[in-house]
Amino acid sequence: MAGQTDPHISLFSPQEVEFMAEDEMVEIVPNMNMDPLNFIAGDYGRFVPQIPTQVPLWLAVALKRRGKCTFRPPAWLSVDNLTQVLEAEREPQSKFQPLPSGYIEIARLLFDHARDDIPDMYMVKSLVEDIRDVRLHKLETNLGTFGADTTAVKMNNVSAMEVNLVRPFVIRALEAFYKHDKPERDADRDARSSSSSSSRQPPREANNEPRRPLRQR
Amino acid sequence: MAKYYDIDDILTEEEFAPVLFHKPANGVTIDPSAETNSVEQGAKVELPFWLAHELHLRQAVSIYLPACFDQKTRLEIQADAACVDLRSRCPYFYELGCKLQPLVTDRTIGILLSTAFKIRYKERLTKVFTATHLTASKFLPFLTIEEANLYEAANLSMTAFKKWRTGGPRFQRASILGRKRKES
Repeated sequence: MAGQTDPHISLFSPQEVEFMAEDEMVEIVPNMNMDPLNFIAGDYGRFVPQIPTQVPLWLAVALKRRGKCTFRPPAWLSVDNLTQVLEAEREPQSKFQPLPSGYIEIARLLFDHARDDIPDMYMVKSLVEDIRDVRLHKLETNLGTFGADTTAVKMNNVSAMEVNLVRPFVIRALEAFYKHDKPERDADRDARSSSSSSSRQPPREANNEPRRPLRQR
Repeated sequence: MAKYYDIDDILTEEEFAPVLFHKPANGVTIDPSAETNSVEQGAKVELPFWLAHELHLRQAVSIYLPACFDQKTRLEIQADAACVDLRSRCPYFYELGCKLQPLVTDRTIGILLSTAFKIRYKERLTKVFTATHLTASKFLPFLTIEEANLYEAANLSMTAFKKWRTGGPRFQRASILGRKRKES
């Protein structure tokens, strides 16, 4: 298989995933007056002091670095919400909790640039790290359940960075399982079809790492 | 043939497999212990797999399992598949097994390979993401080439992620600008 010996199978670097996560809208509070800005991505409206405005994250970071605004932390980045999410993640056998797809990247950008705008910053930071660790462990146990019958894998609520982390590994692992367990499956299928009850197993549900909706312009 | 130029495939087929000759062969110095330049009918010789495969197609030989698939390895795999040192037995354990499977009369190879792979995968390879570098790399010399590929894929993306996480300059200086030009 070509993929087996290809050393550069990783398709996206973490920086590229971060770049794509910067398209999320966040709320800022500007401290200056500015006319609407026109970009290819869209127009971002008048900036009036002390009036909260929605802008993409990349623009917000740029404004913040020039000292022209302060961040309003997004709703999911509060201590209460994160504690709740962490408790739910730590439940045994629980699924992945719904979190914004770019939560790791957004959190990191905000910590780097907007320390003073987030209340209890260190607490929030450690909570995000804990959540990340727990989800990674859960992802790992999920990967361990692959077998010969794994034609497709479906996991809900996995964030973009986590998907990118396991992508090359999962591709190669599924290829390897297909190659090795094929004879076992063929033998099984022969045995089953030769017996009287020959009802085929229904095919597994469609493959989906969660798709991000394309942005409508 | 998609794998004709694949280096791993070429190296896999270099592995030796014992064969039993059905027809005598003249003018070949395969058997080091024979005095003459020929192989007699009924002789058991170790040939590289690509040669054994071709001769098998011409029904000149019949292939047996190489030593790396013998009873000793099977017992070790049954005992604890995760710790068996497959690389010293045969670095292309799985690939060779897959190739041998249709040619050899032994039907149990497929199951042996798949159970070994499944257990080793679950125990070792899935741990790459969360374990520290030391624990995960301790078993690196035991993995076959194929498993090492999987390990490397996981390792690369994990190190890239960790490096990104510790931060660093967003913009990197292009390497082409690195060298200072001498003012002539």
